[in-house]
Amino acid sequence: MTPRGRVLLATVCGLVIAGLVHIAAVLLIPRVSETDALARARTAESLDHAMRIHTLATGDTPPAAEAWLPVPDPAVAVGLCAYDLSEGPLRVAARTGPLMMSMAVHGRRGAFYAVTDQAALRGSLDLVVLTRRQFDEALANEDENEVSRDVRIVATDRQGFVVVRVIAELPSQRAAANEAVQAVSCTVDTGSEETKPGG
Amino acid sequence: MTTPADTTRMPALPRDGAGIRRLGGVARDRARATLRSASDISLVVYALVLGGGLGLASADYATSGGYPFGGVTVGPWTAWPRAGAVGADPYTRAVNARRGEIPLGVGEGLLITAAQDDEGRVLDAGCTYSVAGVTPPARAWTLTVAGRGARPNGASSLREAFTSTEILREADGTFVITLAPQAQPGNWMPMPRPSGPVRLALRLYDTPVAASAGTLDRSALPAIRRNGCRT
Repeated sequence: MTPRGRVLLATVCGLVIAGLVHIAAVLLIPRVSETDALARARTAESLDHAMRIHTLATGDTPPAAEAWLPVPDPAVAVGLCAYDLSEGPLRVAARTGPLMMSMAVHGRRGAFYAVTDQAALRGSLDLVVLTRRQFDEALANEDENEVSRDVRIVATDRQGFVVVRVIAELPSQRAAANEAVQAVSCTVDTGSEETKPGG
Repeated sequence: MTTPADTTRMPALPRDGAGIRRLGGVARDRARATLRSASDISLVVYALVLGGGLGLASADYATSGGYPFGGVTVGPWTAWPRAGAVGADPYTRAVNARRGEIPLGVGEGLLITAAQDDEGRVLDAGCTYSVAGVTPPARAWTLTVAGRGARPNGASSLREAFTSTEILREADGTFVITLAPQAQPGNWMPMPRPSGPVRLALRLYDTPVAASAGTLDRSALPAIRRNGCRT
């Protein structure tokens, strides 16, 4: 092969490698990122209530410094609960009020379930995020005489997070929106609670 | 037109050209010699460096800033219905991961952005705009203005968003938001910074449109008109 041909071949190989590296890098970024929502949510995993990640400014109180959303909506308070289903199903319990609330369950690949407060029954919204196996177990252990009000969601991934958004349509509702986010509880459902009467 | 001076200078040119050609020839010979002596290993290293560098640089370029694909363009607005969905493309997921963004899920709401006015000019903080019309059906919506990049330190804007409840409406239910650097009557939204490009973000919460963003009509979104610019 002529020297020029060899250089040409090397350049073509380089471009092919560039394409492969590009694809691999784009696919790897969500997995290795330490600044994405999942990685940040996992730092506050032990909390039993939603971690507030965007607190609305109320009166003289400026928004809290923990905010890391790039362009947050200034009228929406955001809270986050990280889950790791290998520890057990996650139960997210929220009381709905006059403010509009929405919850979305995110896995590694995006939001696979979303629900708003219109789905609430008697003012409460209970989501249980579980794996397929845990779901089957819950079905098997279910008491037929007892109606479960939980919304059961089978997760696509073991790890993820639940986002709670409460919209304050007027500035005077901002404090209430912050409190509504804070009031959302995220607990790991253990087997004993599952069979508890009235639970 | 030739002058005697030109004719005397003419013969000098070919000599210069020949010199350059000779220099080029020497360089080519030297390059050819280097190539001939270039071992397979150095060519492999060259290919790897080229591939790695180009691949990483292009991946960085494609995933920094906004979402490269997946937008539905309706006039000056672009809707991002799949940004938070499970079926989002890898680039969108990479952008979200790098920015730490938590996008709205399909059942939650829809993000619609605008960086240009109706005539296709970039929204500028020095100009006055009117955002007028109606929004697609939603339980609540917010319209936010933001500059690119981080906010200047310590600067807190008087207002950076309107919600559907706060807005003053006309008798027929339409609204006009005036986006201007100076205070205006009616729904005034101050510019977030003294100069530079700005972006509008319309977030619809609990909207049926999220599942069918492709059918959004131009008349269902507010028009963005430029009323004048500070000179």
